[in-house]
Amino acid sequence: MLEIGLIFRALMRNKIGALLIALQIALTLAIMVNAIFMIQDRNVQMSRPSGLDESNTFYLTNTVFGENYNLQAALQTDLQKLRNMDGIDNAIQINAVPLSDGGWSMGLAREPGEDKNSVGTAIYMVDEHGIDTLGVNLIAGQNFTQQDIAWRGAQDTKWPPKAIVTKALATSLFPDDWQSAVGKTVFISKDQPMQIIGIVEQLQAPWNGWSGVERSTLVPSQLESKSAKYFIRTEAGRRDEMMAAVEKFLSESDKQRIIRQVMTVEDTRKQSYQQHIATNKILTTVIITLTMITAFGIVGLAIFSINRRTKQIGTRRALGATQWQIMRYFMVENFMISAVGVTIGAIGAIALNYWLVNTFQIDPISIDLIIYGVIALFIVGQLAVFYPAKRASLISPATATRTT
Amino acid sequence: MLEMKNINKIFQTADVQTHALRDFNLTVNEGDFVSVTGPSGSGKTTFLNIAGLLETYTSGDFYLDGQNVGMLNDSGRSKMRNQKIGFVFQGFNLIPDLNLFYNVDVPLRYRGFNAKERKQRIEENLARVGLASRMKHVPSQLSGGQQQRVAIARALATDPRFLLADEPTGNLDSEMADGVMSLLEDINKQGTTIIMVTHDPELALRASRRIQVKDGRVSELDIVAEKALA
Repeated sequence: MLEIGLIFRALMRNKIGALLIALQIALTLAIMVNAIFMIQDRNVQMSRPSGLDESNTFYLTNTVFGENYNLQAALQTDLQKLRNMDGIDNAIQINAVPLSDGGWSMGLAREPGEDKNSVGTAIYMVDEHGIDTLGVNLIAGQNFTQQDIAWRGAQDTKWPPKAIVTKALATSLFPDDWQSAVGKTVFISKDQPMQIIGIVEQLQAPWNGWSGVERSTLVPSQLESKSAKYFIRTEAGRRDEMMAAVEKFLSESDKQRIIRQVMTVEDTRKQSYQQHIATNKILTTVIITLTMITAFGIVGLAIFSINRRTKQIGTRRALGATQWQIMRYFMVENFMISAVGVTIGAIGAIALNYWLVNTFQIDPISIDLIIYGVIALFIVGQLAVFYPAKRASLISPATATRTT
Repeated sequence: MLEMKNINKIFQTADVQTHALRDFNLTVNEGDFVSVTGPSGSGKTTFLNIAGLLETYTSGDFYLDGQNVGMLNDSGRSKMRNQKIGFVFQGFNLIPDLNLFYNVDVPLRYRGFNAKERKQRIEENLARVGLASRMKHVPSQLSGGQQQRVAIARALATDPRFLLADEPTGNLDSEMADGVMSLLEDINKQGTTIIMVTHDPELALRASRRIQVKDGRVSELDIVAEKALA
């Protein structure tokens, strides 16, 4: 028999301590569940694939300082030599790198005109090696050809007539059938037509927090700029080795430039999500701290309660309670306090989440998470009360006959 | 019924060894009302604790209702306490958070009786001590004498073979003490064996059999009833 009725009656006559612990459990649950939800949300964001072959790619910035420098010839020579290097699969010049937090964005519309609704997209300027070098997967249409590639000066405003878009962008432009985007003409800069010739599965924009992060467009342009980004894909497992080799080769092959910011895409991802990682660490610390405070509170209340009731416990033992029955008494008592706490906490968690959803436009919390939180706090409660309960069970029945 | 042969109890600390009971021998028969007296520190509480299975002994043999107590583990001793022994303590030892009904209910729950049987036993025994009308009261609403009556009702509710009373009137004035003693005498007459530890020689004289404990030994055995017969 679990003595639930007797424990309840005893608790009712000493409500304050139990109620405070129940409220602490409630607060812990409400905060814990929402914090875990926020951590999960960030983890989901961080685990989204960029579309790139991240483990085998890196990039660098090539900054030219020489006068009368032939940018076009130098770029072609560099790319040619890089593509022929042992250990390198392919190389391109690109105007921006996914998740790097810096890049170009434009709007694409299905009809020309200033007042037409457009869909925002990140722009990546690449040549016909773009798809292979980035490691993205062409799922419809075709790649650019060498003839499609056009030079683009820093002041140019004219866009090439062809584009390859991500599936997410194709879906935004043509919600009924994303595959139908191939061959369609869309408009950039109000009225410049661009024919979609291909669709890639995924390629993220440079900004991880943007709601349109999956919407990107590849255009067949080569920037003629004194500061250019080279994006390089190596043979599997040779990235780190080739980073040093490429930096050395480029630095030594031309003394009128400097090579800077040699960086892997993996590091770029880490940098991009630094704030997420830090926030998750803070939230994890909050959860652990709160849980520990609650556990210590439970231990404290249990020890206080046991010390106050030493003689009573001895009397119960004298009246026939086994050690296990004494232990069980305190564990059931904790379970009942926890039950009140998690009930209030579950309501609190939903209320807090409701506020967060309305304030920060995040998704509503899942019921599963609340259930896991409830189970976790029941376990924490039982673990926390185990030691004091065990101590209580070891109180001698002879305590009953002691006069002090 | 209760037989102690050469029981020794030694309390051992880092520096000191205290012999609380030395070759303690005692037999208590069914229906006895035994009073145990002795000066402070003589070992009478240790005897009561061992007799009530609240403490273990260092050496000797102890049979309770024919069963060798030394063979029992902690759980076995708990069961035997619950089934065969009722306790009445000097400080009553009622649970202050529970009303009289639930105080009497405590040992019955450990016994595993169903709700119906528990209710019947609680009501019967509270009526037996004259407190049936106050079962919803908590101990703090009762006088000391009434609280001790509740403790007696709790002790009797499991139908024990023995009632062990530790200074049952120690915290009561003489009028209340007399009432409690009368109740114990009635209970004994109805067949329950009682062993009562007391400081009070007058109360000890009301028992049918008196023993005195001194320096951990039974130093005197005075069977009043037999004397009276002689």
